[in-house]
Amino acid sequence: MAKRWPGFLLIALLLLAWEVASLNKWIDPVTFPPVSKIATSWWPAVAGGEIMRQMLPSLWRIFAGFALAVVVAIPLGLVMGTVPIIYRLLEPITEFVRPIPSSAYIPVAILVLGIGNEMKIFVVFLACLFPILLNTYGGVRGVDPVLIDTGRTFGISRLKALRQIILPAALPSIMTGMRISLGIALIVAVVAEMIAGSSGIGYYILDMQRIFRVPEMFAGIFTLGVLGFLINFCFLKVEGHFLKWRGTSVET
Amino acid sequence: MQVTPMNVEVKGKSSSADKADGETIIEVRGIRKVYAVNQTALTVFDGLSYKIGRGSFLSIIGPSGCGKSTLLKLISGLETPSGGEVFFNGRRIDGPPKGMIYVFQQYTKSIFPWRTVLQNIRFGLDSQKSLPAREAHEKCMEYVKLVGLQGYENYYPYQLSGGMQQRVVIARALICEPDVLLMDEPFSAVDAMTRAILQELILKIWSTLPITVLFVTHDVDEAVFLSNRIVSLGRAPATVREDVAIDLAYPRDQIRTRGEERFNGFRQRLFSSIFLQEKEGIPNA
Repeated sequence: MAKRWPGFLLIALLLLAWEVASLNKWIDPVTFPPVSKIATSWWPAVAGGEIMRQMLPSLWRIFAGFALAVVVAIPLGLVMGTVPIIYRLLEPITEFVRPIPSSAYIPVAILVLGIGNEMKIFVVFLACLFPILLNTYGGVRGVDPVLIDTGRTFGISRLKALRQIILPAALPSIMTGMRISLGIALIVAVVAEMIAGSSGIGYYILDMQRIFRVPEMFAGIFTLGVLGFLINFCFLKVEGHFLKWRGTSVET
Repeated sequence: MQVTPMNVEVKGKSSSADKADGETIIEVRGIRKVYAVNQTALTVFDGLSYKIGRGSFLSIIGPSGCGKSTLLKLISGLETPSGGEVFFNGRRIDGPPKGMIYVFQQYTKSIFPWRTVLQNIRFGLDSQKSLPAREAHEKCMEYVKLVGLQGYENYYPYQLSGGMQQRVVIARALICEPDVLLMDEPFSAVDAMTRAILQELILKIWSTLPITVLFVTHDVDEAVFLSNRIVSLGRAPATVREDVAIDLAYPRDQIRTRGEERFNGFRQRLFSSIFLQEKEGIPNA
């Protein structure tokens, strides 16, 4: 964290430049109100609970969809990675469905599930599914044959090998998939909220734009930035805990 | 593992020459192995037979690509022969049997990087039996000490040198108390000094535990220094070209033993045999 201060300094400078440019009307102050004005409308929105009230449904959709994806994709990926016939059966369909942007499913999801939470959780789930699935079976298939043979020479069962060798060996790859998915979850949840429904931070941003409360709109956008940063920060902590064995330097 | 009195007696004679004339522990009978390489059949073995005596330290040497490692894999049950059979303690091998542990050349790929030294060794123990936590811990610590890693038991592999990682892998194998340790060029990837130290370690272990070691190496000096018997394979399809009892006295010493005239005699004889074959295999050499 300590070494990142130049980056944070740059953020501060950019905000300052925005502030100055807006105050001097170098940029349109209606579309880009001064940062100080955004901050003053942000703080009451946060303190007054408005942002929080919009954030909670978004967070719920993000984490419910993500958690569902984890629960489905990891076991499925382990099976695909270890059983060749299942892999050959499911890999083509995965490769076909994966490139379709998950926001393209929103109209279908609305038809089937309506505009409520179910639809949004489902879309987030679908978006999170593929990065985790691909990285799980990719990680499993990439496990070194020597590790597999090590399990065999010690005579452990296939199930034990899966749990004690294949899963931990594939964990770095699985974690990468999860991290990618979390980022996508945030995007998709916001898009879904903008398209349909009447709650959530995505809805809030669009709503503020429609009634020309531009500072509040930016307050919502900045909130998303902070949220994304915090989610990634927390995930890196979790990842670091589970992968602490992947050190890079020799301690003496 | 059962330590029969006979075993102990064999070990007791360790200063004498050929210990391999005891009971047969492994028998390779008419083994064939054919690989398909670029749609042509490569015959590595075509009817190889050999008997390995209990308690021996047998090294397998030969020109590169002759199938030394393949032979070890076939004996371990990790690979299946195309024909013929391998017997271990009188039983036909069909998959990796209990009582035999394979130590891979690529120790960095065989060690579990997500487990500490102690947990790696614990894996070996847990694969054989389940002991109460306290007892299991003590037993693991015993093997940590055996390979000289005390003080490092809570280190992760990335924090260890190559030689130390190889010690972990050896301890993880030994804690299973195998009858046979199969070692595939285990010291080829460590520096010369570390190798010399690990060679002494494995000799110490072999002379204290009732264990048979099959050791594949491309290093003739190493084979002569360690073994009481050396099998030299010919080019594929490989047969046993030489089968030499190395009757140098144990315990062997890196400096004294290597200085002996008879050490050099064995070395010269085996080296020239392999070297000439290597040269034959290279056009315009």
